[in-house]
Amino acid sequence: MRLRTMAAVAPMLAFPLVFAAPAAAQESVQIQLDALNKSGVSGTATMTAQDNGDLTVTINARGLVPNAPHAQHIHGAANGTDFMCPDQSADKDGDGFVNTEEGLPDYGDIFVSLTTSGDTSKKSGLAVDRMPKADANGTVTYRRTIKAAELPAGTVKFLKDLHIVQHGIDVNDNDKYDLEGLGESTFAKSLGVSGIPEEATNPASCGMVSGAAAGSMPAGGVETGDGSTEPGGQPVLVILGGLAAAAAGVVLRRRPRTDS
Amino acid sequence: MVTAAGLVTVGVRAGDAPPGAAGVPPSSSVTASAGATTSAGATAAPPSRPVPPRRPGVGTRPRELTTGPVLPTSAPVRLDIPTLRVSTGLIGLGLQPDGTMEVPGDAATAGWYTAAPTPGSLGPAVVAAHVNLDGRPGVFTALATLRPGDTVEVARADGTVAVFAITTVQRHPKDRFPTEAVYGAIDHAGLRLITCGGDFDTARRSYRDNVVAFARLVRTERR
Repeated sequence: MRLRTMAAVAPMLAFPLVFAAPAAAQESVQIQLDALNKSGVSGTATMTAQDNGDLTVTINARGLVPNAPHAQHIHGAANGTDFMCPDQSADKDGDGFVNTEEGLPDYGDIFVSLTTSGDTSKKSGLAVDRMPKADANGTVTYRRTIKAAELPAGTVKFLKDLHIVQHGIDVNDNDKYDLEGLGESTFAKSLGVSGIPEEATNPASCGMVSGAAAGSMPAGGVETGDGSTEPGGQPVLVILGGLAAAAAGVVLRRRPRTDS
Repeated sequence: MVTAAGLVTVGVRAGDAPPGAAGVPPSSSVTASAGATTSAGATAAPPSRPVPPRRPGVGTRPRELTTGPVLPTSAPVRLDIPTLRVSTGLIGLGLQPDGTMEVPGDAATAGWYTAAPTPGSLGPAVVAAHVNLDGRPGVFTALATLRPGDTVEVARADGTVAVFAITTVQRHPKDRFPTEAVYGAIDHAGLRLITCGGDFDTARRSYRDNVVAFARLVRTERR
């Protein structure tokens, strides 16, 4: 704690409570999930870079095919390329759907597979037995912390260039992926797997970064002065909470910790 | 139904996504508001060079969800506030064991909070410095005199200088610190400068308030 000043130490000595060092995260990136292929899916996701290099991913999405597994991935690259989510114009073959191959030029290659357990590399991109399953209402709730050693190089540095894509739609409304809907998945077939419905591999949502926040919120105010000089200049301020400011002395005595 | 058999760990080809494919914008600096409007209604100085128009919506293509210019992540190394004649190095600040933010150990240095986005990148970057310490005026002795539109320059390790414009300067009791407004999620590259202000509580040897200057990125220079 070489940076801590005596002014900051004093209140802690007066109230010698011992706190465990808080788990710290570097920053947290917010993602807004929007529907692809008229899936009706919407949701939010966060990617939080932990101090130890781990990445915590949370996803809350609704409108997915109920009781069905949904392959989901972080897409993009750690080289400064800023991919975007595709729109319907990416439907090059004009079949009315942006399939996985047609979306890849926009949202980039699979960067991390968001499985529920085990491997998270690109190799697990279609490992549907380890992908989250939507509940009976079509909701997917996902949370996983992926170890630093398992993340591609540059993940944290380029976190804000990445996207999240969820797959799996039901175009013929029979609550399952079947060949009757859109036929066989050309994407799976290109990887050497036959008989997979295109419904299972077509994108259902794509999420782009919508904001970012601090990874860890400090408690209370910041102790940045000891009253040893007069502050310079004449302040021109928007003063908020005027009455609260007048009452602050009382409140400060009641809640000393937030003042340190 | 999809059956798991035969689908487990299917390899996906590399190189499926050529960078620079049609429709991929050259950078994320797609939009830039022509001056930031503050909550108090004041308007920041407009950027000094032409502002690229917001990318027109093409079909149903999702629009960029962030606003204004943003830079890649890069650690800050120096802070300049021309109107306050501030020019100082920056050290990293973490959290103290009680969960409060560390502060610089001397009056002449400012620190950036390392558990938040780096200045110029998307999100709220945070810089703190003393208003005074050990009988000396601190780097932020006159922070409360900043006006909307004043510029704040942060030189970064990648050689770029992120130029911010002040949008609003506020004072809050420390026990009612606006944590969410300072550290919470925002859709642009922001900067918050923090010091102490208000009455000095001699019994507690502590200022009762924090002064927070909010700013947003308006342009980037390279030096």
